Amino acid sequence: MDLKPSPERQILFDTLTKYFENEYKIADRNTAAHSELGYSKEAWEKMRDLGILESLIDPELNGFGGTPLDISAVFEALGRGLVVEPFLETGLVSTKILGKGNENQKKLVADLLENIALPTFCHSENDTDYRKSYVKTELVPDKEGNFLVTGKKVMIKNASGASHLIITCRSSGDYADEKGITIACIPSNRSGIDIKSFSSIDGGRVSDIHLENVAVLKTEIIGNDGKGFEIISEAIDFGILAICSEALGIMEKIKELTLDYLKTRKQFGVPIGKFQALQHRMAQLLVEIEQARSAVVNATINFFDSNERSSVISAAKFSIGKIGMLVAEESIQLHGGMGMTWEYDLGHYAKRLVLIDHEFGDEDFHLQKYIELQ
Amino acid sequence: MDLNFTEQQQEFQKEVRDFLDENLDTKVSEKVRNGISISKSESEDWHKKLNNKGWLAGPWPEEFGGQDWGVVEKFIFEEECGASGAPRIVPFGVGMLAPVLMKFGSDEQRKHWLPRMLNGEDWWCQGYSEPGSGSDLASLKTTAVKENDYYIVNGQKTWTTFAQHANMIFCLVRTSNEGKPQEGISFLLMDMNSPGIEVRPIITLDGSHEVNEIFFSDVKVPLENLVGEENKGWTYAKYLLTHERTGNANVAISKRKIKKLRKLASETKKNGTALVNDPLFASRLAQIEINLQNLEITNLRTLSSVESGEAPGAESSIIKILGSEIEQDIDNLTRKSLGKRAFINEPDAFSVGYNGPEIEPKAAATASGKYFNHRKKSIYAGSNEIQKNIISKMMLNL
Ligand SMILES: Cc1cc2nc3c(=O)[nH]c(=O)nc-3n(C[C@H](O)[C@H](O)[C@H](O)COP(=O)(O)OP(=O)(O)OC[C@H]3O[C@@H](n4cnc5c(N)ncnc54)[C@H](O)[C@@H]3O)c2cc1C
Repeated sequence: MDLKPSPERQILFDTLTKYFENEYKIADRNTAAHSELGYSKEAWEKMRDLGILESLIDPELNGFGGTPLDISAVFEALGRGLVVEPFLETGLVSTKILGKGNENQKKLVADLLENIALPTFCHSENDTDYRKSYVKTELVPDKEGNFLVTGKKVMIKNASGASHLIITCRSSGDYADEKGITIACIPSNRSGIDIKSFSSIDGGRVSDIHLENVAVLKTEIIGNDGKGFEIISEAIDFGILAICSEALGIMEKIKELTLDYLKTRKQFGVPIGKFQALQHRMAQLLVEIEQARSAVVNATINFFDSNERSSVISAAKFSIGKIGMLVAEESIQLHGGMGMTWEYDLGHYAKRLVLIDHEFGDEDFHLQKYIELQ
Repeated sequence: MDLNFTEQQQEFQKEVRDFLDENLDTKVSEKVRNGISISKSESEDWHKKLNNKGWLAGPWPEEFGGQDWGVVEKFIFEEECGASGAPRIVPFGVGMLAPVLMKFGSDEQRKHWLPRMLNGEDWWCQGYSEPGSGSDLASLKTTAVKENDYYIVNGQKTWTTFAQHANMIFCLVRTSNEGKPQEGISFLLMDMNSPGIEVRPIITLDGSHEVNEIFFSDVKVPLENLVGEENKGWTYAKYLLTHERTGNANVAISKRKIKKLRKLASETKKNGTALVNDPLFASRLAQIEINLQNLEITNLRTLSSVESGEAPGAESSIIKILGSEIEQDIDNLTRKSLGKRAFINEPDAFSVGYNGPEIEPKAAATASGKYFNHRKKSIYAGSNEIQKNIISKMMLNL
């Protein structure tokens, strides 16, 4: 039995981690994360040059990775670096979907790698209903055999800078049916698209997207009409695996910061880590983070087991949600006032970690899903 | 056993409610309900209204301009204010420094400073914590050295809430290095406009500006600004801390927040049904409500023993822990209940000039920010770990 990452992946992880530590300063990250665009174009391009995107993309699409193991290793490193650039929505989920499309759509992946396109995934329509099949946005055929799309997408990350929107639509059935979902990929400047964006607490921008009779050509449909669910379902599962790995990277970083603080911060003449009350709290964090790692490993190695995937993915997302919040809250508390400041890195890691629970279904959603699956 | 209010107390409660109905500006209470910091002038306006009614310093003795409220009246007043979304009375002057001056200050100090607190001439801040001295406050290093008619103060304070608004600060300073650290601390009043004082903002993780660092270099402080005796400051500070920690139950504020959360969750759908009916959510909400009910009684039990003459001891630590954690639990569940909308952080949505897109429900504009900001509640006023140390020592004799 060998549950350690392969040497190549370990090297990839170490290289990225070192790069972020040296080149991706949290203060600069914060400036970019709270700017109009929500991230840094320059940092994005540098990281693209490093090959991070390729490591998320299958070889047949000109990448050199794209397996669950690659994705998990890369996103753990991205988490440690608190990277706010759009690797999740654009680099991973969008490319997984585009890879199932026609030649034009596959070409968009190549364009992304060459930095001339930036597609993003626009799926969720309800703030609190996390079901993957929840799609109301209407796709209706017009006389020429093309389509018109009308509806609203909510809290979409990084939509304001995107070149293309990958939109899930309903062509038949009821709003939560798995059948009848159709995926369209269109340029973001098409008329009828109105994007309203907000500042996101964990950095970046989130947008509500209003679609009003937006024209979609039949060549802009990904896969078959009404058969989109399977494609997005797998892509979202990849997204969940990625975001759980990101959370793991964040937790490991938080653990280091907190441990370091316990060893160096002195009160009552001793490092506060000498107080047994705090030692046990820190020990508990370590125990929990080990459990979180195992949840992610479990989801990674069983990802292509069709009987297991939904269950291990929900188990991982539930574990990460629950443990992530504990780690965020405890680490702030153990830092005292210092944990509350903007200037110190910890708080920014804690914010992202907590908000990860609001993406792709929260701990309650996945606990209920897990129960249903048994 | 009787935990009911007397008839007189009930009448007082009604009087407070009527007063709030008439005097509380709805724009201000909307901000308070949504966790937005109100401006200095909004605070001052509210203080003025209360002062006109004689309620800015209700618990003060009548001779100093108060109403001689007992603990129960103070409790009723604070709970009603909390429930209605009234701004909190900025505590540093009337709630913290005043009791110290009344007990340990000179006649001149009382005559000079107390009326100024009431009429709003002074805005006080609390200069205790230092970069190296948080939980271990007695290790503080800011020095005050006597030179002719002045103390010369050098050092640094930090985490000073609202120092940006304050024109006065009460500080703990080191006047001696002899004996135990507690024995060389003095209690000084300083004018924030003195040469040599510099205030720098500390921005908190949610992006707001409440706390500050203060640097003192050769600041001249008149000798008459020493409170009580030199090197006795620790006794006064401890006396003040017990005042800071009582009144931390915040039952009414938490009740108000739960009511709001319940409403939010009944208007929100999760997988087709109302969120309040979701079994996991309902269980979380019910547990917080039960905790809060229990705290309400715990708090009343403490009040009734204080009313009958027992000094508040480590009970205030119990209430500090519970009050802060319950409020944090509510903020946490509020964030969760908003689902994806919790990503939004637009505190300006409550300002007059906001011209960004509409946010629905509006509470989402600040819910996550507030959740993170309120992590402070288990850190300040003596961290919850320190409260547990106090309980271990004073109640458990461990
Ligand atoms: C928003 C905010 C507003 C504030 N406003 C003011 C103000 O106006 N004026 C002012 O003077 N101060 C203020 N403070 C400071 C506050 O009182 C301190 O933050 C608090 O006393 C904790 O000190 P510290 O931050 O240095 O943490 P530390 O004392 O360094 O504590 C770090 C961690 O160690 C734990 N710890 C420390 N000692 C022990 C022990 N013996 N046993 C077990 N655990 C221990 C703490 O509980 C905490 O978890 C404010 C703080 C905040 C966050």
